[in-house]
Amino acid sequence: MSKTLRLQIILGGCVVVAAVLIFLWKPTVLIYGVQRAGLYAAIALPMALILGVVHIVNLAHGELMMVAAYITYYLSRSLGVDPFVAMLITAPVMFGVGILIYKLTISHAVKGPELNQLILTFGVAMVLSQLVNLLTTSQTRKISLDYVTASATIGETSFGTYNFLFVGLAAAVLIGLQLFLKRTRLGQAATAVGQNPNGAEIIGIDVQRTYTIVVAIAAGLMGIIGTFFLTKFSIFPAVGGAYTMKSFCLVAMAGIGNLPMIVVSSLILAVAESSIQAIPGGSGWAPLVFFALIILVIMTRSFRRSS
Amino acid sequence: MKPTRTTGSVIALWVFGVLGVFVAVLPLLAGPYAQAIGRSVLTYLILAVSWDMLIRSGQLSFGIAGFFGLGSYAAVMAGKWLGMAPILTLLLAGVVVALVAAAVGSVVLRLRGMYFAITTLALAEIFRIIIRNWNNFTGGPNGALLSGVIFGGNAAATYTLMLVLGVLAIAASEWFEHGKMHFALTAIRNNEVVAKSSGINIYRYLLIAFVITSAMQGVVGASYAQQFGFVTPESSFHMNYTLIPLALALFGGMYTSWGPVVGAVILGVLGEYLKLYIPYGHLIVYGLIIVLVLLLMPKGIVGLVRARMREVSHD
Repeated sequence: MSKTLRLQIILGGCVVVAAVLIFLWKPTVLIYGVQRAGLYAAIALPMALILGVVHIVNLAHGELMMVAAYITYYLSRSLGVDPFVAMLITAPVMFGVGILIYKLTISHAVKGPELNQLILTFGVAMVLSQLVNLLTTSQTRKISLDYVTASATIGETSFGTYNFLFVGLAAAVLIGLQLFLKRTRLGQAATAVGQNPNGAEIIGIDVQRTYTIVVAIAAGLMGIIGTFFLTKFSIFPAVGGAYTMKSFCLVAMAGIGNLPMIVVSSLILAVAESSIQAIPGGSGWAPLVFFALIILVIMTRSFRRSS
Repeated sequence: MKPTRTTGSVIALWVFGVLGVFVAVLPLLAGPYAQAIGRSVLTYLILAVSWDMLIRSGQLSFGIAGFFGLGSYAAVMAGKWLGMAPILTLLLAGVVVALVAAAVGSVVLRLRGMYFAITTLALAEIFRIIIRNWNNFTGGPNGALLSGVIFGGNAAATYTLMLVLGVLAIAASEWFEHGKMHFALTAIRNNEVVAKSSGINIYRYLLIAFVITSAMQGVVGASYAQQFGFVTPESSFHMNYTLIPLALALFGGMYTSWGPVVGAVILGVLGEYLKLYIPYGHLIVYGLIIVLVLLLMPKGIVGLVRARMREVSHD
């Protein structure tokens, strides 16, 4: 225990030193890194919930966000309302989509080998992105809102402030999920099911219902997160894929089941990406960072296992 | 231990064999359009067979598109910069992809299961980004052109090449299915701990299987690129090359050589018609096939036929 604590202190120290150095080098890199970390953490947290707490691998995670963003896009266009108003419809709809996807597909693979879950949810991801492609073509879409261009100036650096909203979003999702898991009966049941599905069933927990609701909550959260995503970024049918992989990277870095650590792993990924983007000619290489981190995680894990 | 063959299964084997040779030779008699369809079927057939060879060990690779694209690029770069003969570039692509797969596999195969699957899923994207950024060698976002295509574009010759590669792939798969490899990989799939305690070096067998199957995917990519004479980051690493082979292998039936072959022939031919009717978004069909097959007939067509044959022989 003291060994892991010492390791965590050393690791934390390194992160703080790196942050200070980056701040002295280019303050905007740190600011944009923190903003991006908010986005990443918000997207990764629902995956951390279903992968870490009830052990369901969902490769359609990013696609759920993409579908949510499209629903909000068309709602807000056709009703002429702000995306955040449309979100009030999108989130419940996505909750329903979550129930549907669980009942129709994942529920049949929950007890089987992990392999089947992976192939199945890969199939679901492909169906979702190709369905959107078929319905709306692969053209990129964007909603332009005037409030997203808000900016602030401190000293000589000026930067966009709207993206701090993602930090708030991530905090809200994290706190909400922690309260759900610790304070509600359903959340406690979810933790019990994750630890031992058979045991949970014996003590009278409706396991299938718990799985269904946890997946639906994750999907509903993606309804909210997809809307936030849409307000700032362009969307297209394949936009979600990269976020599935980045979310997995973050969950693996944090340690599967450890929700608060997602914040730290998001900060590492996001600040590393924005640092590389700040180097001249480096912006093209930033999408490789998450892969390097996954490889690093696998190497340390396997090293720890063998020693 | 193999069950003794019944008369019924011997007849079935002969019918299947004769039919197979007939189907394989038919495009050579039927003209260029049939040969084009045949080439496309064989391309996906080899990818599906190679994917299945690895999944027999319980390792799910989503890296097909990545290795396919890497093979395509290796072949075109060798032709462009070294002026290598097209047929030799296929070999070179196989070697390049084998080396890359060995490097990736030696790390990722230490943590298996979902870590392996998701890391390989990222490979296509990772290779694509590297190739797009490596502008002065690969041609960057614009891709690269060859001055000519393999065999001067002779359809019958290229079909024959793909047919030879297809037969080689099936032979490799049969070797995996019947040799020492089969027992090692099946043991690993069924229970790693038991396999390990029986003295199987899990890591080594998985690495060999991963390198061989990835190299096969690289050679297919190379032959594909040589047929069309160009590569681009977007087209060469397209998700198709992962999605379609998976759907074909599942549809035909996983964990056998003939499942992916049957799946590729049936769906490959149907897929060509599908492309004509739904040019955009026809890929949704393959996604649906993956989901439906896993839920409704996890053993695929070959599994269904086998169960039916068993019923008949018991009657």
